[in-house]
Amino acid sequence: MGMTAVEKILARASGRASVAPGELIEPVPDFIMIHDGVVLAARQELDALGITRIANPDKVVMVTDHDVLYNSELAVRRGAFNRAAARDWGVKRFFDAGRGGHGHVFPMETGIVTPGTLYFDNDRHCTNVGGIGAVAFRMGTEISRVLATGSNWLMVPHTIKLVIKGKAQAGVHARDIGFVIGAMLNEPSESSGVEIDYRILEFTGELDQFSLAARVSMCSTPTEMRAIGVFFPPSAEIIAYSRARTQQPFEAVYSDKDANYESTMELDVGRLQPQVALPGGPHRAADLSSVAGQRIDHAFIGSCGSSMWEDLEIAAGYLRGRRVAPGVRLLVVPGSEQSTLRMAHEGLAQVFLDAGATILPAGCGPCASGRNGLVHAGEVSISTAVGNGTGRFGSREAKLFLGSPATVAASAVSGCITDPRALTSH
Amino acid sequence: MTTEIDNHNWLFKGRCYKLGHDVPHAGGVIPNPLITAREFDPQKLIPHLFAETDPGFHQRVKPGDIIVTGRNFGMGPKMNGYIAMQALGLGVVCESMPFLAYRAAVGVGLPVMTDCFNVTELCDSGDELEVDFRSGMFFNHTRDIRKEYPPLPDALQEIVALGGNTGWLKRWWQQQQTARQ
Repeated sequence: MGMTAVEKILARASGRASVAPGELIEPVPDFIMIHDGVVLAARQELDALGITRIANPDKVVMVTDHDVLYNSELAVRRGAFNRAAARDWGVKRFFDAGRGGHGHVFPMETGIVTPGTLYFDNDRHCTNVGGIGAVAFRMGTEISRVLATGSNWLMVPHTIKLVIKGKAQAGVHARDIGFVIGAMLNEPSESSGVEIDYRILEFTGELDQFSLAARVSMCSTPTEMRAIGVFFPPSAEIIAYSRARTQQPFEAVYSDKDANYESTMELDVGRLQPQVALPGGPHRAADLSSVAGQRIDHAFIGSCGSSMWEDLEIAAGYLRGRRVAPGVRLLVVPGSEQSTLRMAHEGLAQVFLDAGATILPAGCGPCASGRNGLVHAGEVSISTAVGNGTGRFGSREAKLFLGSPATVAASAVSGCITDPRALTSH
Repeated sequence: MTTEIDNHNWLFKGRCYKLGHDVPHAGGVIPNPLITAREFDPQKLIPHLFAETDPGFHQRVKPGDIIVTGRNFGMGPKMNGYIAMQALGLGVVCESMPFLAYRAAVGVGLPVMTDCFNVTELCDSGDELEVDFRSGMFFNHTRDIRKEYPPLPDALQEIVALGGNTGWLKRWWQQQQTARQ
């Protein structure tokens, strides 16, 4: 029996010839990521045990992306605490506010994550790196054990194969496809035969149409549906992208032809129209046409689901030469400082500012437990956030829709939910 | 390590508290505000265990009592409710549990068995149960039923025996210190 790509990566990191679903292993990750919200608890736990050193400081990447602007006294204190922690632990790869951006975006753009990488992260949205052909596992509060010992136990997950058929029509973005996949995964497993809890969702089929940014976008919604990982076999283009950005050697990993998949799903993307996710969850996919014309107050482009360079470019295409509609506030949150700089160099920042958008520092933006750019009761938002559960960013009495970067930008200039195909992109 | 696992009490004898399917962690097990406030103090959590569905639960249970649940117990990766159960000396047997919920329960040292097919059909609240989390043996003495389920895996028994991740780390660190001397 062959192995899936993720099984091969886990076997390599565990020093074993093979692994199989259900086995308990202790792989050694290539690196460890921890974000600004949880350093405090992890260090306090370790300090209380007298563990003042971490296993391998050179393998740790610390990022400040959840509360970049320190929107509370607590956050200010936490920022100071985190800087001291990085110094005391000897962590050199510490991307403080303004230095890196979103921890699930910039490491792919800077070559920290390449195809074939395995890493452990406190945060579950690390699944984003499946877009580049890598895999990462959420450790939650157990990140303390990973920091102290360099590893942790893991159960090898089952893998589900998702065969993409057809070619997406113009105006249908990867995020739209993601919402539809979310709806498929939300079907009760008794009727669909697919259980997504703690599974890897591996894409296959007509994938050449999807760029790196598109693939990353499609990792978002399955994660919200409790997939533990998503995986795309890296294209030649993506391998070249990574080679140009990293100094470390790497090898792209692919599933064997006779790999074991727990179940198989199919999706014909050719038949899809632009989608939104209705308030309540990213799996609540609906044809955009069913809510077209819905007035909006708030729009936000960013989050780990849609903040790579290409996402920003797509959004800018609908804002160039237009103004955000009266009564609407549009927030743009690039995924990385590198993108913020490039926006300035290549004129995108001018496009957003001319349109009347507010550019926030790279990071999670409003999506991270709602620390900035919030919505009020009765307001309506459309965004590219990863989730739109009640109260995700602000009042529980607000309505939160999700859409693609194209849909959010087109809606921001129109003042209501708008099919991007109704506007010319330029 | 074998000593710690061997010396740990894996055999629970107590009353059954039966819950249905799809009981989420937030609200179903423990009120959500305690989760978002990152409250991990067992004494502060205990009075709120099942507070929204079964007020006064914590005053009626005794160490050794067993919570039996249907499918999909404890949705969510957080551990606040399991901290309270562990501190009260309870065990959990369920038909299924999302993996990260299971992981969270193990991580706070709660004896837990999942994938116990149809176990809710073998017992009712108030039945006298006996469960060996190390062997997977399940007895309902009230109904004279005996059943074998998948036990807590060997590799995870160590974590539960040491009281969860923090206990595991504490012992690991002691071993590191000893090895260095």
